[in-house]
Amino acid sequence: MTYPPDLLLLQAFTGLALGAVYVLLATGLSLIFGLLGVVNFAHGAFYMLGAYAGLFLFAATGNFWLCLVGVPLLVGACGLVVQRTLLRPLEGRGPDDPLLLTFGLAAIVVELVRMGYGKQALPFDTPDALQGAVDIGVGYFPLYRLFVIAVAALVMLALWLLIERTRVGLIIRSAARDPVIVRVLGVDVSLVWMLVFGLGTAIAGLAGLLAAPLQGASPEMGVTVLAEAFVVTVVGGMGSLGGAVVAGLLIGVVVSLTGLLAPEMAKVSMFALMAVVLILRPQGLFGRPA
Amino acid sequence: MSDLALTQAPALPWLRRHKVLAGCAALLVLPLAAPYPALATDVIVWGLYALGFNLLYGGLGLLSFGHAALFGGGAYACGIVLTRAGLPPTLAPWAAIAAGPLAGAAIALLMGLLATRTRGIYFAMVTLALAQCAWFVAYQSSVWTGGENGLRGVNLTTVPLPGFSLDFLHPLSRYYLLAAIVAAALAVLARIEASPFGAAMAAVRENEGRARACGYDVARIRLLGFVLSGGFAGLAGALYALKLGIVPIEAMDLHVSGQAVIMTLLGGAGTFFGPFIGAALVVVIETQLSAVTEHWPLLVGALFVACVLFFPRGVWGTLAAR
Amino acid sequence: MTYVLETRGLTKRFGGFTALNGVSVGIKAGALTAIIGPNGAGKSTFFNLITGALAPSAGQVLFEGADITGTPQHRWAGLGIAKSFQITNVFPRLTALENVRVAAQARLTRFDPWRARARLTALVDEAHALLATVGLRHRAEAEAATLAHGEQRALEIAIALAARPRLLLMDEPTAGMSPEETRTIMDLVLRLTTERTVVLVEHKMKLVMGVSDRLLVLHHGELLAEGTPDDIRANAEVRRVYLGSRAA
Repeated sequence: MTYPPDLLLLQAFTGLALGAVYVLLATGLSLIFGLLGVVNFAHGAFYMLGAYAGLFLFAATGNFWLCLVGVPLLVGACGLVVQRTLLRPLEGRGPDDPLLLTFGLAAIVVELVRMGYGKQALPFDTPDALQGAVDIGVGYFPLYRLFVIAVAALVMLALWLLIERTRVGLIIRSAARDPVIVRVLGVDVSLVWMLVFGLGTAIAGLAGLLAAPLQGASPEMGVTVLAEAFVVTVVGGMGSLGGAVVAGLLIGVVVSLTGLLAPEMAKVSMFALMAVVLILRPQGLFGRPA
Repeated sequence: MSDLALTQAPALPWLRRHKVLAGCAALLVLPLAAPYPALATDVIVWGLYALGFNLLYGGLGLLSFGHAALFGGGAYACGIVLTRAGLPPTLAPWAAIAAGPLAGAAIALLMGLLATRTRGIYFAMVTLALAQCAWFVAYQSSVWTGGENGLRGVNLTTVPLPGFSLDFLHPLSRYYLLAAIVAAALAVLARIEASPFGAAMAAVRENEGRARACGYDVARIRLLGFVLSGGFAGLAGALYALKLGIVPIEAMDLHVSGQAVIMTLLGGAGTFFGPFIGAALVVVIETQLSAVTEHWPLLVGALFVACVLFFPRGVWGTLAAR
Repeated sequence: MTYVLETRGLTKRFGGFTALNGVSVGIKAGALTAIIGPNGAGKSTFFNLITGALAPSAGQVLFEGADITGTPQHRWAGLGIAKSFQITNVFPRLTALENVRVAAQARLTRFDPWRARARLTALVDEAHALLATVGLRHRAEAEAATLAHGEQRALEIAIALAARPRLLLMDEPTAGMSPEETRTIMDLVLRLTTERTVVLVEHKMKLVMGVSDRLLVLHHGELLAEGTPDDIRANAEVRRVYLGSRAA
């Protein structure tokens, strides 16, 4: 069976939209790990929270653009509170403890959302202005997916500028390298860590909002996506933002193309890719070797 | 100094020395304490599963979020042997039970070869991802696993024993058959802990670099520990399949991986009885509370978070340390 | 003649920085050799290379005439090389006895799953004897984490000895110790030297001058001088590097 190249390209483009969501998720995960040394097992829960916060805000305001700003702020605020109240007391304990705590937290958040919104998946309409399709040269492509790619690109650009070009970014980078020195210099490192956790969860919330019109909102949506975000992070290399971008897009395209060529293999393909990376380059594509 | 500490002190060394005996005694009287035998059966199956998880986490310090694949793999293997292999009825039940640990260990070997290539915190992420992959594989292979509908017809009515045949449908005799298997597993587990290999695991857990300098092949010890842990998880899965008469796809769900973590931590990681106590706690909360509210996972989650924050040694670990 | 330990053109680069550059030395059997040098001389890098913790960028390490460059870390103990670390490195939540016993157990080539480890009485006896050697006989049942700093260092030496090494490599065994603890450990080191080859990496020159058979002086990642303590004392370059920097 052969496929016309246009169809393959279009499918690859669909993969980029999926990959854009992965990129955002893995970026937040990597950011939090890089600075706090915490593997955030509640990352999928914050992603799910983003979708439901979107439902809530959209029902209240009817304005999707407002959701685009409000949801990251809301979810990020939750992240700040979680870091301050639950994770900070664990500073100085082993790396397993914050991981376990966020895992338990995720279970609580999922159950709370079930209590509020029920167990059923809820539909999330694509905003009117972003409905329809545009011709991208190889065929018609849904406008909303294009929008997802663009937002992710904008967020990554802003994040890059923040980290590489601002004073705040300088503090973040130094705090990652040597928290003691930065503390001696008079910077409140605990505050930096809290803000970074908030930032990471805000990006996860945004990813959840962006994904909602594509797949709806359900309390369990964060569980599978957590495994997928881990795959992206392992492939890209833990703590590397460049790795998150490349691996996220790569996996989006791989999943999308296998979905076309061998549908029954689509879900397993990303894990096969992870296995290959683990065998050939255990530290990930962009990770530092041990 | 509380009175409790005084009265407990002499009992604990005894418990420590006769772990297996104490465990068997508990297995013997458990149905008396439980409101109905099926609850006791649930407790020992999940308890065995948590013990297997603890062999890896408490023994080697490796945090796996992929034990659902080992548990589910054991359950499917047991079910497939019972429904498909066409073995004579005298052999089938025992072959089905043996298939559980074999499958669990084999899947653990595959997962471990990949997961032990990474270090530290990656292990939890990679095992979780691989378990998710195993779920998809089980879901797609509906010819073997029944996919979404589950593997049905895992019916065991009688188990041939020397001299008589045991009625597996009777709740109490079913409990005691499974309890005997769990008791045997307890004995093997205690053996591993006391063996030179158990000592090597402890050395790797305590100080990887020093263990390596002493001459221990850290990667191999980790892999072997994971495989052994998979054997116990797989056996628990097989007993679960027999108890239920069906292997639902949920046996492979990530939720099952989480159960091992929650039960072990709540009861007390790295202790011999802790995982069992944690399993009993969770099973009781689940069955008793689910009659009242469907949101019982909220309580388990809150309890777990409180455990990590305030009593990281778990119920048994905290009591035993008094 | 063959040396117990020999390095040929040993070089280690970290990125663009060369920490060790073409060091070739030979260490004779049955002697106490000290490797000294000011801070940043490459002592730790050299130690990590001759203990297999790091792989060299170039050059070889030979043990009893055989090239062992690139042998995995966990095989070194079996070859007959043991080390004690600069940072205290014990098994914190195991008893002192179990620390040494498990180290001795590593010599077994196979695990016998059907015999409890407590029944391997030869290993237990050996561990008790080693604890006595390092002066920890009375602390056998104490958890390693509860031992005093000096005791932990002594325990670490017992762990290293449990491998029955023909070559013992020690990285600043007296770092962070009181003068009294230092004296105890140095006495122990001298006693150990009577039965095996010992190599010490040491920052404090005074400490090793009186007791070493041979000294190797590293400076800026290169071998500056090599010889008996008298040779080194008389060496003008060493005086300039060591004493000059001290006096300045």
